[in-house]
Amino acid sequence: MKLSCLQENLDRGLNVVGRAVAVRTTLPITNNVLLATDKSRLKLSATNLEMAISCWIGAKVEEEGAITVPARLLSEFISSLPSEKVDINLSPQTKTLGLKCARFEARISGVDAKDFPPIPRVEGGIATKVEVEALRQAIGQVAFAAATEESRPVLTGVDAEFDGDTLTLAAADGFRLAVYKLPLAQAVSQKTEVIIPARTLAELNRLMADQEEAVEITVNPEKGQALFRLKDIELVSQLIQGSFPNYSQLIPKKFNTKAVISVADFLRATKTASIFARDGSGIVRLVVAPGGEMTPGKVTVSARSEEIGDDVGDIDAMVEGEEAKIAFNGKYLTDVLSVLHEAQVALETTNPSSPGVLKPVGSDNYIHVVMPMFVQW
Amino acid sequence: MPIKALAPQVVARIAAGEVVERPASVVKELVENSLDAGATQISVEVGGGGVSLIKVTDNGAGIPSEEVELAFERYATSKIGDLDDLESISSLGFRGEALSSITAVAQVDMTTCADGEKVATHLGLEDGAIASRSTKGRSQGTTVTVLNLFRKIPARLKFLKSIATENSHIANVVSQYALAFPEVKFSLSLDGRVALRTPGSGKLLDSVAEVYGAEIAGNMIELKGEATIPRVTGMVGLPRVSRSGWGYLSFFINRRWVNSRMLARAVEEAYHGLLMVGRHPVAVIDILLPAQDVDVNIHPTKSEVKFANERAVFSAVYRTVRQALAGQTPVPHVEAANKPVFSSVVRESASPTYVGAGADLSFPPLTSAAALPVLRVLGQLDNSYIIAEGPDGLYLIDQHAAHERVLFERIERQRAQREIEVQGLLEPMPLEVSPRQEAELWSHYQELAEFGFAIEPFGGKTFLVRAVPAIVHDRDWAGMLRELLDSLSEGDKSNWAETVIITMACHSAVRAGQALTDSEMRELVRQLEQAATPHTCPHGRPTMIHLSYGQLKKDFGRT
Repeated sequence: MKLSCLQENLDRGLNVVGRAVAVRTTLPITNNVLLATDKSRLKLSATNLEMAISCWIGAKVEEEGAITVPARLLSEFISSLPSEKVDINLSPQTKTLGLKCARFEARISGVDAKDFPPIPRVEGGIATKVEVEALRQAIGQVAFAAATEESRPVLTGVDAEFDGDTLTLAAADGFRLAVYKLPLAQAVSQKTEVIIPARTLAELNRLMADQEEAVEITVNPEKGQALFRLKDIELVSQLIQGSFPNYSQLIPKKFNTKAVISVADFLRATKTASIFARDGSGIVRLVVAPGGEMTPGKVTVSARSEEIGDDVGDIDAMVEGEEAKIAFNGKYLTDVLSVLHEAQVALETTNPSSPGVLKPVGSDNYIHVVMPMFVQW
Repeated sequence: MPIKALAPQVVARIAAGEVVERPASVVKELVENSLDAGATQISVEVGGGGVSLIKVTDNGAGIPSEEVELAFERYATSKIGDLDDLESISSLGFRGEALSSITAVAQVDMTTCADGEKVATHLGLEDGAIASRSTKGRSQGTTVTVLNLFRKIPARLKFLKSIATENSHIANVVSQYALAFPEVKFSLSLDGRVALRTPGSGKLLDSVAEVYGAEIAGNMIELKGEATIPRVTGMVGLPRVSRSGWGYLSFFINRRWVNSRMLARAVEEAYHGLLMVGRHPVAVIDILLPAQDVDVNIHPTKSEVKFANERAVFSAVYRTVRQALAGQTPVPHVEAANKPVFSSVVRESASPTYVGAGADLSFPPLTSAAALPVLRVLGQLDNSYIIAEGPDGLYLIDQHAAHERVLFERIERQRAQREIEVQGLLEPMPLEVSPRQEAELWSHYQELAEFGFAIEPFGGKTFLVRAVPAIVHDRDWAGMLRELLDSLSEGDKSNWAETVIITMACHSAVRAGQALTDSEMRELVRQLEQAATPHTCPHGRPTMIHLSYGQLKKDFGRT
């Protein structure tokens, strides 16, 4: 293998695939990054066996070849080099990768590319496209609701349902549920439902940050893996096997009280209250009071702690229905309020022990359900 | 075979079987006799595990020449006179069985010289009959030599364990009396080797040092039982010198060595939450009771006793020990490489209390002496320990144990105020349990509501969980619930509420190996400073280790 490429391209490529390098592993080679020539480009790949990322960068290839070297070492070395041309030369006998840039020269011992875990090919099944912006927003508003605790593996993933020209993403951790509908740029022939690890989607969101072209999504017929293809980047993820809870029945169909409030005000009041709720389990109490003839309605957000003290904040609201009292884990409220892009949110409740529903005002594609905490009033 | 009265030798041997179980029983009877005779020096020599030789020499009152033969008669004793005496026994022996029982199973020689006598009387007995009588020269006191124990009873001989085992039983008997009578000089030699020698200084700590060694003695605290009835005195070990067996618990009623599960339980209760699971305290406890309040005449060996008011005794022991510990609960110190000469840790104990019959068992507060100094967090070690600086040196804090303690107290407080924080489940979750867990869940699912679990039966071995305590909501609470049910079904049901709280605290506490930010560590240390019992986790493990500046200086050779 013999090639040359630009330091900044190589550095960026290593950063992209670096997210998939295994951290703690029993398979040492997954700490390595695979370098392989691919026609007139250099392909970099890394995998932690749950997720694999490949990235292609432009290169001037003189001799084909492939090798794996420790990812962190290579990445740190390349990032410290000046922004110039890097000459890469593999000595096949010693499996040593020679790197030359400006007046620096390094040799890194490698491991045969044949030993690198193969990255599954994802073909057949369904294939579709989604606009980057829509997908980024959907992941941002859904993935955080997935469970971090692993006793129910399906809940650590995001349920993705491809149906016609709609993709529905849903995540739940047993206490809250987030559902987001977005259009597919290319309709699917057959309705398909898979569970994608929330971690994978978080990585995908990072990779999409500087992308503009639509993302290609492919799921293999066995529903074992999904491939996300971006410009010069491919992310292959294992899918979580199992069936996701039927969440549509968990979304309350009606309400007794509905308050429309400013997202920013609600977020500030909740954050402030959470400071006082920190010693316990973060209980934030909401009292929704309808307005009178002349007075606006309001939502009172409060928290108290035996040792510390208490805090009460009022927010103006347009209230429909009767007075309501409900308590939530403050974190669940701040999580959702801080990802909403809309100016106002509607909070719908039925009683203190039934789930509350948050819907951004002005868009009907997102719904967030939170189960309350049971407290003495 | 027709019914007939048994021959006296047969009767004697049957009776002896009750008193003389093994060589250690002979030693016990003889040592008790010496103590009852007011001896201030008792030496015990043992050979061959006590089977070939037991020789007990004392400087007690001795037996007048004319009474020596009578001493070997069954039910002959100088210790009590009539029935009324039996109601108020102050001596260790009183049944008048010991010597006659021993002679029934062994060859016995006695040399005794009473006060005022010029020569000692020597009596040799074989098969329960007097074989020889002569006079010998010796100072006041008695020497009893027991030879060839059980030689005539092969079955009993076979039943005996190895020489080493029998020796250890004998050593235990002598040790116990050495602890009960610190003013008596005890010496024990096993096959010519000195196994124990107490100074007879009258100080319990000296006896403890001889019996258990300097390390334990250096970690004993004195119980100062006030003048109550019953009065509890003695010493107990600090939690850091716990032992894995029960063998370090010694109880004496009016200085009589007794075995009592009830007393052991009282002490264990007092150490509750201070010792790790499976660890037991060291304690030497004497209980002073009016003789009529205790019945020692239950068993010929008198090792079991009955109390007129068991509950009062239990709570007296519990309170006295708990109070002594309350003044301590220290931070374990880092062990010095070269141990210094042990210094006694004897402190004043807390205020006096009268322990009556209906005394309640509320915990004396473990606060004042237990409070933590203000600590400054320096960093984290191995993602498991928080390093902090205090005014008196370095503290290493086990993050999991510390958090467990904080959460334990929080849950306890919330429960007491009926303010357990409960998080509802969006969708009721079915919980499948094993048959054993099912039984436990059936009997407790309603009580679990107090802790924030809303659980209802759903048919068969399935239950529906509708809400969980907020403190565990983002943990594997289903796994925790199963583990809890297992430990409830195995363990002691009496404090199941505490088991629930401990399990909840343990499962929601930060794990070892979890990296913490500076502010998280500061917050944890702040909460620990406010805990009522900051030094141990609910399982009894220490939450912190203290390395004093003095210790650092010493280890760096700067002193």
